Amino acid sequence: MFEKLSEIICNYVEVEPGDIHPDSRFMEDLGFTSFDFMSMLGELEDAFDVEIDQQEAAEIRTVQEAVAYLEKLSAE
Amino acid sequence: MTISTIREILVQAEKKYGAEDAVRYKTGKDSIEAKSYTELKKDSESFSRVLKALGVQGGHVAVTGMTSYPWLVTYFGTVGSGTVCVPLDVSLPMEEMCELVHRSDASVLVVDEIRKDVMLAAKAKCPKLKYVISMQKETQDEEALSFWQLLKEHEGVFSTEPKPEDLATIMFTSGTTGKSKGVMLTHRNLAENATCLDMKFPERTVILSVLPIHHAYCLSMDILKGLSLGSVICINDSLIRMAKNIKLFRPNVILMVPLMIETMAKKLQEAAGLPPEIVKREVFGEQFHTICSGGAYLPPAMLDLFKAYGITILQGYGMTECAPVISTTVSWNIRKGSVGQLIPNCEAKVVEEELWVRGSSVMQGYYQMPKETEETLVDGWLRTGDLGYVDDEGFVYLTGRKKNLIITKNGENVSPEELENRLSESPLVQEVLVRESEGVIEAEFFPDAEYAAKKEITDVKAALQELIDNWNKSAPAYKKIYRLKVRDTEFPKTPSKKIKRY
Repeated sequence: MFEKLSEIICNYVEVEPGDIHPDSRFMEDLGFTSFDFMSMLGELEDAFDVEIDQQEAAEIRTVQEAVAYLEKLSAE
Repeated sequence: MTISTIREILVQAEKKYGAEDAVRYKTGKDSIEAKSYTELKKDSESFSRVLKALGVQGGHVAVTGMTSYPWLVTYFGTVGSGTVCVPLDVSLPMEEMCELVHRSDASVLVVDEIRKDVMLAAKAKCPKLKYVISMQKETQDEEALSFWQLLKEHEGVFSTEPKPEDLATIMFTSGTTGKSKGVMLTHRNLAENATCLDMKFPERTVILSVLPIHHAYCLSMDILKGLSLGSVICINDSLIRMAKNIKLFRPNVILMVPLMIETMAKKLQEAAGLPPEIVKREVFGEQFHTICSGGAYLPPAMLDLFKAYGITILQGYGMTECAPVISTTVSWNIRKGSVGQLIPNCEAKVVEEELWVRGSSVMQGYYQMPKETEETLVDGWLRTGDLGYVDDEGFVYLTGRKKNLIITKNGENVSPEELENRLSESPLVQEVLVRESEGVIEAEFFPDAEYAAKKEITDVKAALQELIDNWNKSAPAYKKIYRLKVRDTEFPKTPSKKIKRY
């Protein structure tokens, strides 16, 4: 899941997959704007076939937290 | 044609477009429901009757929630009955929201249960509040009254005609000293702002409303202007699903802030090798033609980029205090570098490089803030706090900002002083400066080395990051701090010993 997420991240910000680490923070380290992040969540819904809650997703700061959230949704 | 009350906008639109769709919204993943102009007017009048029955007609009604049909009915029903509506940002922390409900003297709060915390806490925290109405409850209970139940019980016509000079809305905006200010706008302020300029949008234009409804730009341009043109207003239920909702609702026009436009631009550029008409069809649909941009600075290069895909960007400029539009571009007269021409009800002059504006959209003042009002309104002129000039043809050019406000790319105004005051409460902070840097809010600290030594704090940067993390936990998204800088010398000061900001 981390690899697939990294690929999608690269569609939104100018980073290479190798620059993305589990503890990378979306805003501070990867350069996401709040709207980049929202738009990516929409793409993640399709890519992982899940339904994301905007308020819950607002708590996500790092790539690892996103992976954990997506895994939780996928398991439901 | 210029219309001078909000009630009249709805009445005239209903007369002309009656059974046609006024509002479309999602009821499921791919299902849409619509309400006609007649239904919107009828439900709004029923809500006016609710306020009369509750004995609060003529008072103040606060409303908070995502854009929704109940929100719109609340708004039109409130202002249509000569009552003042106070739209509040749904993302505000509970304490701040309750403080604004209290400070605005609202006797009714209509609340989307997405903010159940506010719904449950408001009465105890706001002594002047008499009624809390839930937008979701089917029947009333001990927590709140039910919007739908009340509407049904008080169904019927209501024909009070508010006057143009009656106060219609109080909208809160960031104050430069940290305390938000309630901008008082009359029916004339809002209705004439929305209707005085014919932008030559065809009737029945489909608009996708994606901006927060408590913003004057969304309320005036998406909703009031949209309805006055007989448009179909489609409600985007979440920014997460905006791309999908564009495909679902197939809009012609979207009002955006620069942050959104820049993200969309990245998407378009990703597909740069493909024919533009195919990219446009896939991203926006063939029917899409216009983006209205406002709220913050838009890089002029965006105009050309979108033009290549057959999409016109109309850049505007305004502020809540002017209900809000001051100038806008029209499709047949675009001038790059300018934020458009003054709209017909607005005139401008430049005083010591600052732009001052006057006209029927200028606010009545800040609610219960005479000092701030006096500082901002001078003989009917509104001091915008922006530096700029107007050319002979009425095109407005902005060159800088006099007021100390961060205007983020999503159009939110943030007072650096508010954040600085909060962060300074920590004894570890000797001085702090909050500013915008590369599109995000940055805090630069000069820590108190003596305190750090006394408390044996070895990793000062980590301790300051923790301070920021704690602030971010309770702050609304647009006030979050995403960058931290630490300096080892004091900040340079002005002669009056204030930190030099620029």
